[in-house]
Amino acid sequence: MINAIEIKNLNKKYQDFQLKDVSFKVPRGSIVGFIGENGAGKTTTIKAMLNLVSRDGGTIEMLGMDTLKDEKKIKESVGVVMDGCNFHDNLKTGDIAKMLASIYKKWNQELYQQYLKKFKLPDNKIIKAFSRGMKMKLQIAVALSHQPDLLILDEATSGLDPIVREEILDVFMDFIQDEEHSILISSHITSDLDKIADYIVFIHQGKILLDEEKETLLSKMGIFKCGEEDFGKLEASEYLRYRKNQFSFEVLVNDKAAIRKKYPNALMDGVTIEQIMLFYGRGEK
Amino acid sequence: MKGLILKDLLNLKSTFKMLGVMMLFFAVVFIPQGNSFIFGIIILMFAMMVVTTISYDDLAKWDAYALTMPVTRKEMVLSKYLVMAILNTLGAVLSLIVGVVGSVIMGQSFDLEILAIIGAIYLIALIFGSVIIPLIYKFGTEKARLMLILCALLPTALMLLAEQFNVSLPTTGNPWIYLILLIGFSVAGVILSYLISLKIYSQKEF
Repeated sequence: MINAIEIKNLNKKYQDFQLKDVSFKVPRGSIVGFIGENGAGKTTTIKAMLNLVSRDGGTIEMLGMDTLKDEKKIKESVGVVMDGCNFHDNLKTGDIAKMLASIYKKWNQELYQQYLKKFKLPDNKIIKAFSRGMKMKLQIAVALSHQPDLLILDEATSGLDPIVREEILDVFMDFIQDEEHSILISSHITSDLDKIADYIVFIHQGKILLDEEKETLLSKMGIFKCGEEDFGKLEASEYLRYRKNQFSFEVLVNDKAAIRKKYPNALMDGVTIEQIMLFYGRGEK
Repeated sequence: MKGLILKDLLNLKSTFKMLGVMMLFFAVVFIPQGNSFIFGIIILMFAMMVVTTISYDDLAKWDAYALTMPVTRKEMVLSKYLVMAILNTLGAVLSLIVGVVGSVIMGQSFDLEILAIIGAIYLIALIFGSVIIPLIYKFGTEKARLMLILCALLPTALMLLAEQFNVSLPTTGNPWIYLILLIGFSVAGVILSYLISLKIYSQKEF
């Protein structure tokens, strides 16, 4: 098994939205950041992976097994955190452990206690009284306590303050250390992904636009700033998207070294994941 | 599956406490009057709780999350029916205890009629659950509640109508026939209801 997740030509059609031939991989031992604006198809893709929605076509393999055939076996070794807390308001952390110990074969009570302690989650309060940060930390503690090989996180860090977010990101980094474990993390807080992701998969209007190693992406792509005259000389194959400002053009280019060679005096900036998203989302082609 | 049932019972912990107080109150008020009304109330209160557990699940968006765990859709549905059976049985046992204790306190011998009443209500509660669970899976808790009221009105209306037109209901001197009919009807109802719920739930998109 080289890939923790392998999605091929996933299709799902809704009335007003569809996933079109979504394919990407999560190599084992890596963190893949799954980005895209709200409604781009991140959650739908994740739901299709977990069979929460049916699909119209395509194959999905997780941990080397087909998600339709070996669903239960796969889910035994996958931890999922969704946007929000899915435990009932009246439960306490101990109640959750009782219930999950009989759901997961590999539930590790000691590990769970360790995470509760690490995250400073009280065991005498009901979940209703938890803050949003505490609820998220609880979900993450639960997702890790049955010793999964793969974590799937859907907007797990959104709505949290920077301190909690960093604390959580550290836990993810620890999880990945043994090079066996893998994480797929969907987020629109791109600064988090700048910190931890090894690969970036970018989905836009139901289609995968980018699937690349983060370092390559950031070192290759650039933002070329030029006037109308220079922009006119650019060929369509030389840039990905452009944005027109009052006096100048900002152009997202795929190969900044090549452009620099062509226009030695060009003003070229590096990019961040956020800028890439903005160019694709709001720029023109 | 055990985990799912446990989850519902843990969730109802506070409801159980409240119910205990109410039961005590009703027992004190009604038993001295020799009113068998209380047995119905106890069982139906417990039967209603399966609906409460589903509303709790909705509130927490539990089902979508539970299905990310090694739990099949079949187990999700089956666990709800088992919770219903457990709650109804719990209600029936408590009614029985109230009945026995009541008779002892009132210095009467335990009337077999009480047993018959509890048995009949128990079966009716099962039928009630079998109607509402598939309705909830299809339409959601709020709409299903309204529909259930309509469902309850329907047989009443039919009975009234039958009376109006002087349709004579088939009668028999042997009460055992009614009992067997009721049991058969309940069992068939629960099984049919489970199969319908499973079908609806298997196609559900979260």
